[in-house]
Amino acid sequence: MSFDAANLLPILPEIAILITASLVLILDLYLKDQDKGLNHSITLIGLVIAIGLTGAVGGGDAQVFFDGNLIRDPMSDLLKGAILIVSVLTFIYARPWLQDRGMLVGEFYVLGLLAVLGMLIMVSANGFLTLYLGLELQALALYALVAFDRDSSTGAEAAMKYFVLGALGSGLLLYGVSMIYGATGSIEFAPVAAAVAEQGISNKVLVFGIAFLVIGIGFKFGAVPFHMWVPDVYEGGPTPAVLILSSAPKIAAFALAVRMLVDGLHTLHPDWQGMLVILAVLSMGLGNLVAIAQSNIKRMLAYSTISHVGFIFLGLLAGSEQGFAAAMFYTIVYAVMSVGAFGILLILSRQGFDAERLEDLKGLNDRDAWYAAMMALIMFSMAGVPPTVGFMAKLLVLEAVVRIDMLWLALVAVFFSIIGAFYYLRVIKFIYFDKPADDAPALLTSSGVRFAMSLNGLALLALGLFPAALLSVCQAAF
Amino acid sequence: MAEKLIFYILAVITLWASVMVITRKNPVHSVLFLVLAFVTSAGLWVLLEAEFLGIVLILVYVGAVMVLFLFVVMMLDIDLATIRAGFVQNLPLAGLIAAIMAVEILLIVGPGNFGLDAFPKPEPLGAEVSNTRELGLLLYSVYIYPVEIAAVILLLAIVAAIRLTLRRRPDTKFIDPAQQVRVRKGPDRVRLVKMAAEDVAPVVDKGDAQ
Amino acid sequence: MLDNYLPILIFILVGILVGVGPLVLGYLLGPRRPDSEKDSPYECGFAAFESARLKFDVRYYLVAILFIIFDLEIAFLFPWAVALGELGLFAFWAMVVFLGILVVGFIYEWKKGALEWE
Repeated sequence: MSFDAANLLPILPEIAILITASLVLILDLYLKDQDKGLNHSITLIGLVIAIGLTGAVGGGDAQVFFDGNLIRDPMSDLLKGAILIVSVLTFIYARPWLQDRGMLVGEFYVLGLLAVLGMLIMVSANGFLTLYLGLELQALALYALVAFDRDSSTGAEAAMKYFVLGALGSGLLLYGVSMIYGATGSIEFAPVAAAVAEQGISNKVLVFGIAFLVIGIGFKFGAVPFHMWVPDVYEGGPTPAVLILSSAPKIAAFALAVRMLVDGLHTLHPDWQGMLVILAVLSMGLGNLVAIAQSNIKRMLAYSTISHVGFIFLGLLAGSEQGFAAAMFYTIVYAVMSVGAFGILLILSRQGFDAERLEDLKGLNDRDAWYAAMMALIMFSMAGVPPTVGFMAKLLVLEAVVRIDMLWLALVAVFFSIIGAFYYLRVIKFIYFDKPADDAPALLTSSGVRFAMSLNGLALLALGLFPAALLSVCQAAF
Repeated sequence: MAEKLIFYILAVITLWASVMVITRKNPVHSVLFLVLAFVTSAGLWVLLEAEFLGIVLILVYVGAVMVLFLFVVMMLDIDLATIRAGFVQNLPLAGLIAAIMAVEILLIVGPGNFGLDAFPKPEPLGAEVSNTRELGLLLYSVYIYPVEIAAVILLLAIVAAIRLTLRRRPDTKFIDPAQQVRVRKGPDRVRLVKMAAEDVAPVVDKGDAQ
Repeated sequence: MLDNYLPILIFILVGILVGVGPLVLGYLLGPRRPDSEKDSPYECGFAAFESARLKFDVRYYLVAILFIIFDLEIAFLFPWAVALGELGLFAFWAMVVFLGILVVGFIYEWKKGALEWE
């Protein structure tokens, strides 16, 4: 059999990430302790090259490669770009924390890069097999990252919970895939879609399989009632690992849901819509209500994640192109907000101290007004206050839900997001209206971190004022 | 007919072994029963004409993964009495859920959907057909992309396992045979120290050169 | 295809017979008069001091998992080797990439000292 080298073109970003990871892995063995910063530089260069390559090979209509295992379409281009950009921010924020704790080692970057690689594979998968392998690559790297601080017993416990529940979720997903394969005879999305359209929705095996797929998606997103791991992992894991975990994987999970439910099983929309409605309402409700009671900010952000996942599901369950575009917009925006929020926590941490309680944010305005403003922007955006982009994102998914005549669902969403606004605004109250603790030292950050955080925060404002650019790219993907 | 008989024997042993896995008090016995369950499932796969998978199941799972399981069981020193503390109280609810799930799965996977009308019995393959070769032909042409991803997953497993469990132990005393072998006859074994000659002692002991 | 496995089946049956037969014979023919002293664990005449099970060192785990990873790699090599003649150069280079990725991991574990026992 002959091989068409054109197949390699669309995976150039993946190849770049893999080479970077291998390079860091080998180079780290020969680096002296004071030179470990080189790992960081190489990682960032690799990510930037991958962003460039994504742009270079992207664009144009959907094309299928590797005998149907890989697809390159506008959605994969956009999501790849988003994942890579968010990852650049992640690594920039994580570095000072790692350095302070003697953990600036190559393995962190290798595991992080391989997680990114897994996500890239997921978003451009055109079959259940590739999708599942990408998911496992990403998940295994994240389990190891949560356990990265070997001497922390809470980290080990969090990793264990994450691993056991994540493996359970993967297993259920795989069981669902086996059902779909049994009913349609293919693991590639296009033939599955064709077979489903032919057999109609009467096939019970397909519906049974979809139930397991949705459970798997719920686990990976952390939607209620499959959310149990989220707060414990966010609280117990080291903050840089949680930073990685909470941002880009959500984009990959969105790709997981869209590839399976839309590319493969769009004809069965009435069946999975009902399941997603339940997940969405429960997630928005429980996430927002329980977040109010949290005093640990990582736990609060965990429940906030759960509520945002509910909103993402709102867009997905609409089943319209508009809904998918809105959900995609929401997911990307959420990843940017989340990376910023955990980035601020890392900035507040210092040697021997981790910012974890809400009180640690007290008087941030007196300590550093600029970071306080950025955190306020992030919190306003998460709460959905105009003119930040969080408002636009919520508005778009609500519009999609209203368009399919599910007004009650939109009202439920609005109700819970008003409740949710309380705990975001409480953070802002801590930042601006409380005095800092007496022993709080001045915030010392590198100019790189400051620049990244400024970009991060201002992006939320800019996207809120001019959402058309990102939105039109999202709409073009469907 | 003979195939059917073998199938039922293997299936019964698999089910019995699986039940033993979850009911034994001694975790080591559980692991050994799991090995038995894997061996008989390998037989079932061979009956399905998936010979390569059957062999890999024995080679990788029985040969390696179960050894790892045994290590882990030995490492953790599990006290099953504490794990089983809530067993009786939780049994009714757990049993009910398990029964419902079993019935559901049976309804879906049973003869109604996956019976002989939907999936007729395949023709038995001839003696010259090699399942391993067929797999190779597919894996290294159509599924080459997933195969390379599998390599990356294995790489990740190496990195993660080493990062999470490898610790330096500077306090352990051990002998490195490689270093012993590398010792050269001259300077490493015997060190000659030049000293100024002393007049006082007329007789020089040979051992003093050390 | 299953015809090829008939000798293996016979082999397994004979193997089971050879293994189980003597046990059954011993069970049937040997005298068995157990009592509590005979059944209790023996430790130089004392009552047993502690459980016979020792906790294993975590290093065994590392060795075992590294072994599994390369065992799996071999599982990929078998179908490749069998089909290589028909697949040609493409499959050869595909396996070079596959092995190359794992060699990176191998260099890492070697240089890191994961293969040393200390």
